[in-house]
Amino acid sequence: MISASRPNKRKVTSFRTKLLAAIMLVVSAITVSGFYLAQRNVTAAAKRDLQQNFQAELSSLDKVQKFRHAAIAERCSALASRPRIHAALEDNALDLLYPSAKDELRDLMEGEESLPEEEAPSLHAKFYRFLDAGGAVLSPPNPKDVGELNPHAEAQLGLKQLAETQQIGYTQENVDGKDEIVDEIVAVPIFSTETGNVISALVVGFTPFELTGKGAGAGMDSGIWVNGRLHLPSLPKSMQLSVGNEIANAVTKSDRAGNNLTVTVNGAPQLLFYKRLNPNSLFPPAYEICVYPLVDSMTQLHRLRWQIGGVGALLLLGGFVASQFIATRLSVPVEKLALDSAENRAQRQRAEVALESKSEELKRTARYSADASHQLKSPVTVLRAGLETLLRREDFKPEVYDELSALLHQTHRLTGVIDDLLLLSRLDAGHLQIDSQPVNLSQVVDEWLDDLSALPDSVDVKIEKESPADLYVSGEKQYASLIVQNLLENARKYNRSGGRLRVAGRRKDNQVVLTIGNTGRPIPSSAQEHIFERFHHSSTASGHGLGLNLARELTRLHGGDLRLVRSENDWTEFEVRFRVATPPQNTRAEVA
Amino acid sequence: MRRLAGFNTVVALLPISVLAQTTVEGRVGLPKSHSAPVVAKRYEIVTRAGVLSTQPPLAVVYLAGPFPKVRLPSTNQIAQKNLAFVPSLLPVQVGTKVEFPNLDDTYHSIFSYSPAKRFDLGRYRPEERPIPSEVFTTPGLVTLRCDIHEHMRGLILVVDTPYFVVTDADGRFRLSRLPAGHYTLKAWIDSKTTRERPVELKSGETLHIDFP
Repeated sequence: MISASRPNKRKVTSFRTKLLAAIMLVVSAITVSGFYLAQRNVTAAAKRDLQQNFQAELSSLDKVQKFRHAAIAERCSALASRPRIHAALEDNALDLLYPSAKDELRDLMEGEESLPEEEAPSLHAKFYRFLDAGGAVLSPPNPKDVGELNPHAEAQLGLKQLAETQQIGYTQENVDGKDEIVDEIVAVPIFSTETGNVISALVVGFTPFELTGKGAGAGMDSGIWVNGRLHLPSLPKSMQLSVGNEIANAVTKSDRAGNNLTVTVNGAPQLLFYKRLNPNSLFPPAYEICVYPLVDSMTQLHRLRWQIGGVGALLLLGGFVASQFIATRLSVPVEKLALDSAENRAQRQRAEVALESKSEELKRTARYSADASHQLKSPVTVLRAGLETLLRREDFKPEVYDELSALLHQTHRLTGVIDDLLLLSRLDAGHLQIDSQPVNLSQVVDEWLDDLSALPDSVDVKIEKESPADLYVSGEKQYASLIVQNLLENARKYNRSGGRLRVAGRRKDNQVVLTIGNTGRPIPSSAQEHIFERFHHSSTASGHGLGLNLARELTRLHGGDLRLVRSENDWTEFEVRFRVATPPQNTRAEVA
Repeated sequence: MRRLAGFNTVVALLPISVLAQTTVEGRVGLPKSHSAPVVAKRYEIVTRAGVLSTQPPLAVVYLAGPFPKVRLPSTNQIAQKNLAFVPSLLPVQVGTKVEFPNLDDTYHSIFSYSPAKRFDLGRYRPEERPIPSEVFTTPGLVTLRCDIHEHMRGLILVVDTPYFVVTDADGRFRLSRLPAGHYTLKAWIDSKTTRERPVELKSGETLHIDFP
């Protein structure tokens, strides 16, 4: 039992471990996915917020820009349509162009000096130039009057061809110098009053509208990217280069007018926005650039992530404890089952052992019975043979023959007693097995009645039989027969001369009731309750006291019973009950 | 207008009154007028596809040749009236002084960037005296503009000859008292179009020339 439970315990433990592992796996998976989703959500929300802020800021700036551009355009158009400028262009008097424009554009150029910078929001020009019909810059005779520019910057004002609409562009001054400046330039077409064609363009340069300080809070740097160069003075030089590269990449890869991306500059993540400042312009594309360091928001996000992670870990721990608990709870019935099965197995083993010993015993008993039968019967047989030999001799006196006959009869009785005893001993040992089959009781009774009448010492008894043919009972014919024989022999033996013997069989419910009655001296009432005891020997009866006991034991073994119905007034009646059986198919009679 | 045309004729006739009565007359084929004719015709300078001309169309017919310079410079006038130059087209001989009286109640600022004559009279009011004027010494077409009223245009055709006339609205012209000899008769139709025919003038004859 103990040795059997050891491996079971191990198995139960392993089952519990597996269960725990499975639950933990599920819990972990749920927690991890929850964590992942939560952190993704948080990240996305943070990014979205940032972008929305920025876009709102940018769109408001955009409006300001548009407004400003419209104002500039209106002003420049008004200037460009001045008669003197037209006259100079149309009447082939280019030498008078700049001198004429000097007066006309004076107010445009002036303000810069007269007003403080923040109050003159860059509506005053820094410089201006005219383009000829081919888009090339017309050099001013006196650059001082029109805002000085170095040749490189001046060359950037030219266009490949003149356009009929206002063009916005951005140029750089002092590209290689220390204080690089980006100018916003607006090219306004000048239409000939004579031909209606664009004959020139006025290009006016302004200080670009500054985003810095007005953007989405502190930390954001904004600038302009034009001609593959980034102009973002607030950014350290080292960062400018890599940010510039990132933008160049982004711009060349997609033709979108604006986008945002996250880049890593000098190991620090930055949110980078770019937006085309001059869509559809003939000037080189320029982009508004905003760089927003993500370090703060990343730190915040990091903290949030840690918090979520902590919660996740706690959840995981809780899940672990819970799953431990659940696993234990779940494994209890399994453990019990395992224990039960162990007990079952032990029981079975015991039963098997018992069965083996039993079968051994059975064999032994059978052997013993055979031995006993042999040992007991052999002397009787020898005795009987001797007696029979003696009887065949003819030189004895007649009384000797009587004596021999009596002795021979006694050997017959002895054989019967030995058989009965052997049968009883097997019954007692519980080794007698009934091989139940349908037995035709009517036939058995008939056979025994025939035998009775054929007996030589039969007394004058009237035999009455009242029984339907083919009463089938469940049992083994050999023993059923023995029961009937016992009762019939008793009925004959204890009958009086000229008496009756009555056998009646009938079916009652699922039983067959056979009553055997006989006339004769009744059994004394004091003895009636003992007649079924073994070796009961009444003073009035001559039997050896085994027959009724054996009959009753056998009847009960057949699932029936044997009892004394009455014994009084010259009538003794026994009743034996058998279980009814279905007649075999081939010998089925017309009982029903 | 008729009065002014007559005046022109008078001016043209003055220096040649002593010459023989040689005359050229004819008709210049003028482009079709695009605008519907109105009762009070005002001749304006219009620009169509870069070509300056009067509207309704008028032409200037003049005789080109090696004529002697003007001995006594004459004076002519183009007024600014109702924000327009009157007359809008004025042929003058080289060396003529043209006055630009302001007949409006506002400032005008007459200038020209034309190669034939650059000048800038500046802003002036009607009561400006002396009347701002310029002497035109180079043959060619001078476009007059006003710096204040950008739509205003006027044309002065400076020719190196004393014999010139503005056609009537039908293109008919008549040049009298011309000298005999071989000359070229030119018809200025617009800023890009000048037709010419060689002519041989004989004293006392009347030549009939039509420009298609």
